[in-house]
Amino acid sequence: MANFDPVTLEILWSRLISIADESAAALLRTSFSTIVRESNDFATVLMDANGDSLSENTAGIPSFVGMLPDALKNFVKRIPIEQWNPGDCIITNDPWIGSGHLPDITMAAPIFHKGKLVGFSGSIAHLPDIGGAGWSSDGSELFEEGIRLMPMKFLKEGEPNQDVFNFITANVRVPSQVIGDIYAQVTAQQVCAERLQEFLDDAHLDDLTGLSAALLERADIAMRKAIEEVPDGTYRSVLNADGYDEDETHIECAVTVDGSTLHIDYDGTSKQIARGLNSVMKYTYAYSTYPVKCALDPDTPRNEGSYRSVTVSAPEGCILNPTFPAPVNARQLTGHLLAAAIYECLAQAVPEKVIAECGGAPTMRSVYSGVDRDGNRFSQIFFASGGMGASPIADGHSCTAFPTNSGSGSIEAFESLAPLVVWKKEFRTDSGGAGQYMGGLGQNVEIEVTAEDTIRLSMMSDRQKYAAKGLLEGREGAKVEIIKSDGTRPHQKARSTLDPGERLMLSFGGGGGYGRPEDRNPDAIRSDLRNGYITPDFAKRHYGVDER
Amino acid sequence: MANEPGNRIRVGVDVGGTFTDFVLVDENRDIIFTGKRLTTSDDPSAAIIDGLERLVEESNTTVPDLDAVVHGTTLITNTIIQRSGAKVGLITTKGFRDSLEMGREIRYDLYDLFFEKPDPLAPRFRRLEIPERVNASGEVLLPLDEAALRIAAHQLADEGVEAIAVCFMHAYANDAHERRAKEILQAELTDIPITTSTEVAPEIREYERANTACANAYVLPLMRHYLGELSDKLAGLGLKQPLYLMLSGGGIASVATGREAPIHLIESGPAAGAMAGAFYGRLTETEHLISFDMGGTTAKMCLIEEYEPEHAHEFEAGRVRRFKKGSGLPLKVPVIDLIEIGAGGGSLARVDNMGLMKVGPDSAGSDPGPVCYGLGGTQPAVTDADLLLGYLSPEYFLGGEMNLDLSSVEAVVDEKLAKTTGLSVTDVAAGIHSIVNENMAAATRMYIAEKGRDPRRYALVACGGAGPVHAYGMAKLLKISRVICPLGAGVLSALGFLVAAPGTDAVRSYVSRLDTLDWDRLNDLFADMEKEALAQIEEAGADSAMVTMRRRADMRYSGQGFEIDVPIPDGTLDAASGEVIRQAFLDRYEELFGRQITDLMIEALTWRVYASGPTPNVELNFAGQQIDDNPADKGERAVFFPETGFAPCKIYNRYALRPGDRFRGPAVIEERESTAIAGPDTTISIDEHLNLIIDIDPPTEEGND
Repeated sequence: MANFDPVTLEILWSRLISIADESAAALLRTSFSTIVRESNDFATVLMDANGDSLSENTAGIPSFVGMLPDALKNFVKRIPIEQWNPGDCIITNDPWIGSGHLPDITMAAPIFHKGKLVGFSGSIAHLPDIGGAGWSSDGSELFEEGIRLMPMKFLKEGEPNQDVFNFITANVRVPSQVIGDIYAQVTAQQVCAERLQEFLDDAHLDDLTGLSAALLERADIAMRKAIEEVPDGTYRSVLNADGYDEDETHIECAVTVDGSTLHIDYDGTSKQIARGLNSVMKYTYAYSTYPVKCALDPDTPRNEGSYRSVTVSAPEGCILNPTFPAPVNARQLTGHLLAAAIYECLAQAVPEKVIAECGGAPTMRSVYSGVDRDGNRFSQIFFASGGMGASPIADGHSCTAFPTNSGSGSIEAFESLAPLVVWKKEFRTDSGGAGQYMGGLGQNVEIEVTAEDTIRLSMMSDRQKYAAKGLLEGREGAKVEIIKSDGTRPHQKARSTLDPGERLMLSFGGGGGYGRPEDRNPDAIRSDLRNGYITPDFAKRHYGVDER
Repeated sequence: MANEPGNRIRVGVDVGGTFTDFVLVDENRDIIFTGKRLTTSDDPSAAIIDGLERLVEESNTTVPDLDAVVHGTTLITNTIIQRSGAKVGLITTKGFRDSLEMGREIRYDLYDLFFEKPDPLAPRFRRLEIPERVNASGEVLLPLDEAALRIAAHQLADEGVEAIAVCFMHAYANDAHERRAKEILQAELTDIPITTSTEVAPEIREYERANTACANAYVLPLMRHYLGELSDKLAGLGLKQPLYLMLSGGGIASVATGREAPIHLIESGPAAGAMAGAFYGRLTETEHLISFDMGGTTAKMCLIEEYEPEHAHEFEAGRVRRFKKGSGLPLKVPVIDLIEIGAGGGSLARVDNMGLMKVGPDSAGSDPGPVCYGLGGTQPAVTDADLLLGYLSPEYFLGGEMNLDLSSVEAVVDEKLAKTTGLSVTDVAAGIHSIVNENMAAATRMYIAEKGRDPRRYALVACGGAGPVHAYGMAKLLKISRVICPLGAGVLSALGFLVAAPGTDAVRSYVSRLDTLDWDRLNDLFADMEKEALAQIEEAGADSAMVTMRRRADMRYSGQGFEIDVPIPDGTLDAASGEVIRQAFLDRYEELFGRQITDLMIEALTWRVYASGPTPNVELNFAGQQIDDNPADKGERAVFFPETGFAPCKIYNRYALRPGDRFRGPAVIEERESTAIAGPDTTISIDEHLNLIIDIDPPTEEGND
């Protein structure tokens, strides 16, 4: 392995990270998809000639951790490397090869320098549409969820592959946006390639071989050191989720720490179900390694080496490793829960490094579509979050998503795009779990339909039966509730309708508390009361404080 | 104000965190004088008055002779960072009081489970809700409940609030309820200043607008008091002209603007720096310029195209983590678009847990400062590395006012960094210098790439104490071939106050697709904005006949989340203008993203007018105080460059260099507040304005190895 001193390595590494970041900025700025920009649902990765990840964009969301290198290796199996030419771009949206559901396009392109293959650029992004039933969780097999593209060339030597192009545009609802977004990825790939070539010139390197080995080793060592600080042992947890109707699901998690390695096993987890809640193995892996990195080694930049010491397994055919053609569209409803299962395990060994369960995991999404008063079609996703779990040092953040990181747009902007009026978006009093540190509050949202015709609602949510649990005797947060103005409850995971003038009340879950409520600082309780985060009744019930 | 005959002696005052800088330009006598005082934080006007008196004395003039005093201050930013502003109450539409605290619901640090969020400027118990509602088209869905408002007013008064902000939903589309609410509140609470959201930020997006209104209310009592006191004191000294202020967008405004909308002054200091950069662009006829200001803690970079700094519409104040985007309070205010990163002379070097060397963003600041100051600093900083490499002289730091302690720096660098990394002291020092340059270059590259441009076409204008020391290295990383180091770079931003034009921005949101736009409504909006801008700019002393107006709009493809800034034609607009605007959007989109899509709908959200008066025509002549007759040649010392290692290098006295002088690098050019470094692959020349120009040779085919 070539020898890089601590200064050179720092400089070169930073530049490789900024290559991935520049590529990400290009993608973000040219993308149409609401999901890409509001929930950062994309990733850009720079890989070496072996297909190992060298650097990943800093601000992406966790769901794509480790996916691109694996996808690339699959691409190369199907399309021999001799057939990869400069200007080629290979895509897939197969959930098992790519990133877990059909709306995500996984793309990779070779990067050549001085006539030699030196690396690959990769990106994953959520498209505005992929045909089929649209974004919902009620499909019973994959085929209802949209079109599937097995790995194929979208660009051949810089020119669009017309057959693929025509096939996609013929099968999606908003072809211009979809093609526009695929091109946003292409732009990102090009930026990545240009920057890498420039980098190699500047650094007087012919290829990345030696550098890559040095970087991967550093990241690997950092993660191993972090794992070594966790006492050895096997830690177990069980997490229940609402599932689909009578099909309740549960996750069994065992985290085994052995020296510098950490293994997560999901043996005993529910079988896959015939609704779109299944999380393919790659998605399971991504949402398992991410919380581990946050808790144990948050500061080291990520590359292939970061994940070498962490392994994940789940029995084939369970909701965390479903087999084709399982429906997987709303896999976040299962995948987002893994962080909680893992933290419950780690809390047994390193309680100071983890947080309580989050009321916003999984996210509650509602999609509104129909025709507005001017006859134009609209489709809007409402982004908002429940409360984060409390930590060992502070209250959980209210209305903040974890493990995903999706923000919330402006209500004024939302209302200007759809015939909906939001009458309320406010903290949900008493929804945070009591504890020495209180779970973050959820929120109450009330939305009225002002269209002339009935519109469609697609709900994707959980936690109506099982609240976010607290840690170390912290109490649980409030459960999710969804009620219409006529008092009925729309299905939490299916498509239904809303009539003109009808209102939908969404109550987002609160985060779990951390530590015993009796240890909460009285000043904090007074401040909670004064600000109306809790009611006097709550204060009396959980803290034994009588303010009346 | 600026350009009228007889209006010739003007003073710029920049109150910074540490120093208050002064520049006096006397165009009758064709001289420039500069000055510096320590900032008096308790009462900033003390240092201003003190420094001003000294400056007029030194320059042989008097306060009554001054034609203008232009002022900028960090008081507002600091008030928000230190949370030392007024007790603010917020009144909102029922159902939305928590918008201010929920913010964007984003985790700005993806991997930190324990990240902190900034506290809202008004806590929840001082945020009250009133029944009222306007929809996105500006139609009233629910009338304003005036009785409820009166009750709320007294509730807030009972809480002891010192200022009130009002933000109602969709007020940018119809501000009738906000205006009525202000009337009622003023009638009920005569002593409490009221800020409505549409007065300070009539733009769509309720969280940012409410934040801006609260921030304005938060600093308003303090700024009113301060500006009143300062004006009085200046009048007491005999100043006959009103005081002027610099807005964050780079325009000059009257004190009245500062009293009503102080939040628009929040970035006045950095704006002045950028305006000074633009001035040097004009002076040296450099159309594509990056101003680079590197001080003790931060480096700021700003793109200046055709003598105009880039504008932005949002600024993040009061960050919990200073250099972390998303960790502060986003405000909708017009600002100069610049980036600031944690890289300065005081940035600290360390070895991280992976054994890699890191520099910044933590800074030793000025107290204790770098190790070489000998004031108790124990961790090596960038300035220490610059000293070790021979870039700085141990005897001539701050013109010799401070001796730098070379031997203790060597010992500390050896102990703290060289031993841990297995590198020599020189390699560590060179490493620190390169890493900080790389950090700044990376940030600049990203900033420029986001605008779809290429750094290679730019020149760098360097200022700040550390700017000229690092500009050569940074230019090489960005493949920039020219560096300009103005004389007196240490007070450059104060000069910005004197070279900027009176100017103001007006803004309105009206969300519409281009094909269904109501042109009459838009024409009314523009007329309204232009009237407002003109009134403000006349108040700032400009002749209305000389005012130019430029229109812009924030536009996007329907469905996209990012808006781009598109030029809009003047005059009365109609459906035919729609095609012109569409084409302008497509051109701009292609410029930024390298492609365009012609079959998608385009929409506009927000419309803007930039109004400016004539740019003052300042001649630069530092002859008054800066030039000396000593020889330019200060001898030689060993200086490190990557290509040569330590090698003898000529040292020049900046004040003895004359226009037309020209020599090859390597060279170190020393002046009081800074030192310019030029490597072996450069030619250095002095232009007619005494600017130092460093031209870097084009790279050879083989590179440098």
